[in-house]
Amino acid sequence: MSSSRLVNLRTARQVKPMLSLDRAEARTRVINLYKAWYRQIPQIAIDYDLPKTQSECKKKLKEMFMKNKDVKDIRIIDALVIKGQMELKETVQVWKQKHGIMAFWAPTVEPKPKDFMGKFLDGHN
Amino acid sequence: MALCRKILSLGSPMRQLVLSSERCLSVSTTHHIDNLNKKQVEPKGVEALNPVEKNLTITVEGLADITKLTGVPEEHIKPRRVLIKKPTKNAMQSGTNNLHKWVMTFDTKERWENPLMGWASTADPLSNLEVEFASKEDAIVFCEKNGWQWAVQEPPQKPPRAKSYADNFSWNKRTRRSTK
Repeated sequence: MSSSRLVNLRTARQVKPMLSLDRAEARTRVINLYKAWYRQIPQIAIDYDLPKTQSECKKKLKEMFMKNKDVKDIRIIDALVIKGQMELKETVQVWKQKHGIMAFWAPTVEPKPKDFMGKFLDGHN
Repeated sequence: MALCRKILSLGSPMRQLVLSSERCLSVSTTHHIDNLNKKQVEPKGVEALNPVEKNLTITVEGLADITKLTGVPEEHIKPRRVLIKKPTKNAMQSGTNNLHKWVMTFDTKERWENPLMGWASTADPLSNLEVEFASKEDAIVFCEKNGWQWAVQEPPQKPPRAKSYADNFSWNKRTRRSTK
């Protein structure tokens, strides 16, 4: 392979789509997935007996979607939608457990110290 | 099972009620779970349903950024540096057949000595990871797709050594070897 491939990859080119053919279609899929999650939140909260209010769940849902707001590639958006859909199915069918849902909030992950003294006491650079 | 049989033995309106109250999936959710392709997006035409089979293509620019899909934690994407280079020849051997590749390695993170046994420890999942590529462009593409900052180290260019049989017998070039 020569360096011309690098140039080819950076310029506009034709590729196979995953699901959507344009941004509007991909956007529809994203919004559909968001709505499906949004509507399912009350049932999820009951099924998993979550120690979170519905508004907290909705806030988290929005946060998870907004994390990927800068994704431009339609194929990546489609792949993310498929992953989100799988996640929703796992959640709705209760193939997960409670901690699997609570992992979205990551309550057990301690934030790493940012200041000098905190890092020093933690034993890290 | 017993519950199912009990439900099935109920009259149909009652069965509907029990089944629907058991798991209150909204209609759109079930559709969404089962049919990503067809139900959730209004079909534009038959060809819109299966773009891959119809050989339709879309235009994209730049490399695909797969960092959102891989599941690699952010702390191992942005701050990590990758060095792309050719492997070093073993100084004790003259074989070079294992050097015709490009190797990608990550920057070293903190290591420490295990207090009990004195083993070398690290918490870095990407340490000691060497990925081999046929060309450096392959390695660069891989790094860019994964969002790692990369640097290429070219192998040093040595000037070719003059090889002349006559030099072995030169009186003033200090190239004569002892035969002992």
